[in-house]
Amino acid sequence: MSRLIPGVPTTPPLALTARQRLAAYWGVGVMQCRTQLLYRGDLLFRLFGVLLQVYLLSLVWEAAYPASGTAAGHNGHRIALSTQIAYVTFAVVQNWLLNSGGMNFIPHRVREGSVAVDLIRPMRFPTQMLWVHAGATAAQTPFALVALPFAVLAGGAQAPASAVAGVCYAVSLALAVVIALLINTLVSMVAFWTTESTGIFVMYRFVQQFLSGSLVPLWFMPNWLRVLAEWMPFQTTTYAPLAVYLGQARAAPVIGLQMVWCVALFGVLRAVWARALNRVVVQGG
Amino acid sequence: MSWYKEADRTVTAANPIPSHRAYRLLVGAALRAQLQYRGNLLLTLASGIAYQSVGLAFVSVVVARFGSIGGWSLSQIAFLYGMRVTAHGMWTVPASELNWLDMTIRTGEFDRYLVRPAGPLLQLLCRRVYLATFGDLATGVIILAVAAPSAGMSMAPGPLAYLVLALVGGAMVEGAFQLGVASLSFRMVSNQSLRLLIASIMNNFGGYPLHIFPNVTRILLCFVLPVAFVAYLPATVLLDRTGDLSVAPWLAWGSPLAGPVLLFLAYLGWRRQIHHYTSTGT
Repeated sequence: MSRLIPGVPTTPPLALTARQRLAAYWGVGVMQCRTQLLYRGDLLFRLFGVLLQVYLLSLVWEAAYPASGTAAGHNGHRIALSTQIAYVTFAVVQNWLLNSGGMNFIPHRVREGSVAVDLIRPMRFPTQMLWVHAGATAAQTPFALVALPFAVLAGGAQAPASAVAGVCYAVSLALAVVIALLINTLVSMVAFWTTESTGIFVMYRFVQQFLSGSLVPLWFMPNWLRVLAEWMPFQTTTYAPLAVYLGQARAAPVIGLQMVWCVALFGVLRAVWARALNRVVVQGG
Repeated sequence: MSWYKEADRTVTAANPIPSHRAYRLLVGAALRAQLQYRGNLLLTLASGIAYQSVGLAFVSVVVARFGSIGGWSLSQIAFLYGMRVTAHGMWTVPASELNWLDMTIRTGEFDRYLVRPAGPLLQLLCRRVYLATFGDLATGVIILAVAAPSAGMSMAPGPLAYLVLALVGGAMVEGAFQLGVASLSFRMVSNQSLRLLIASIMNNFGGYPLHIFPNVTRILLCFVLPVAFVAYLPATVLLDRTGDLSVAPWLAWGSPLAGPVLLFLAYLGWRRQIHHYTSTGT
């Protein structure tokens, strides 16, 4: 018998064409984006929280800065107070855009058992989850754009150091988004090893916030901390693009480093997933 | 009169369990429930510690680079920060469940509180013990203990007693606002945003010497949402820095009294608002 059931091919249609795959991943992303937008009220409140943080941080920098209004960064560059406040403003908004989508997508799926459905879809699970996170970031984007002018009022702003710096910032920001998606997906994979991950995520958030430079730019960090931050991927999501924008770092090495991190993190994600697959414990559903 | 004593032991609606005993029973049960997840305990505590330390980590880096903020050294700011976190911990350890009032109303859990022989507020507070709050408290106490000697606080009994009063008062200020906002739940479906906003202002601004802020902000933080009374005003007294203040020193000295007054008002508010309770029927 060559056909068991008429009309159903014997080989399962596991191999999708590239176009089908893209359409499927896109669908996953759009779905998440819509889900996220259902919680608009929550987003609006968090927007207010972001403005408060910008306001507070600019006041603290203003109080801490020497009366001369400039201070030396680690590489000897003079950082004017206005530059510092622009940095703080952009960094808080950018970090919010990249990281507020939430870490709970994978843990939630594992807890509810819906991870089983994700697994039988003919798409790679890590890539699906990347798109889920991307959908959440997309839902966040209009709010970040609305927040930006208010944040500038609460803090301050500065034009890019040059037209080239502006363009390079755009490129660097796009890479920063990819890196943030990779890191968030990677960290939330912890759900396959521990059933209770909230505590881990809270701690991760603070490490991330600090080492990304969204509280203190790397140019004002003590040496040991700056070296630590430089060797971690987090600073390429917040500090590095803004340093390019403000003319405090050369674009080429920054963008090169970001590309290296993209490739490396994607490799790690695939490796972690290969191990996680053996550990899937579906708890309900 | 032996019949009276007998009746005293029988629990009826007219003769309910004394509230201290109800509290002990309910908290005991909630604690036992929470301790079933031991593996999670350390992690939960650690997340509380991380949450409360990140602000201080930020300040330390800034001060390490620039020397001081508003004329306050790192240990003085750490002392102030520690006072705020400790006061916050003292309030949130017993009362973190206030956060869930709107949820218990929505799900109908609150109906149960009204028919059981103990006060509804007491039952709400005892519905669960949230262990992360102990992390908050521990962080505050540790920061305070480490910072106090180098910040220049005198270790004589007088100042120490004042410190304890100030911490209790500070906890009550935060508590008054949380209780006040929570009682709005009887009228609004969800007030999570407002509650989180107040918590976030207290959390963000409470640990800084407030004289570094512009006038309007300072007045708001002193008299509208009186964050100043939680830690800053008593800290200026303990560190002998009342000279930084733009308000009269007696206000700083008397700051521990603000807590009891505000909490009493908030409790009156709760008593009034609870009359507006209507079950959601779920």
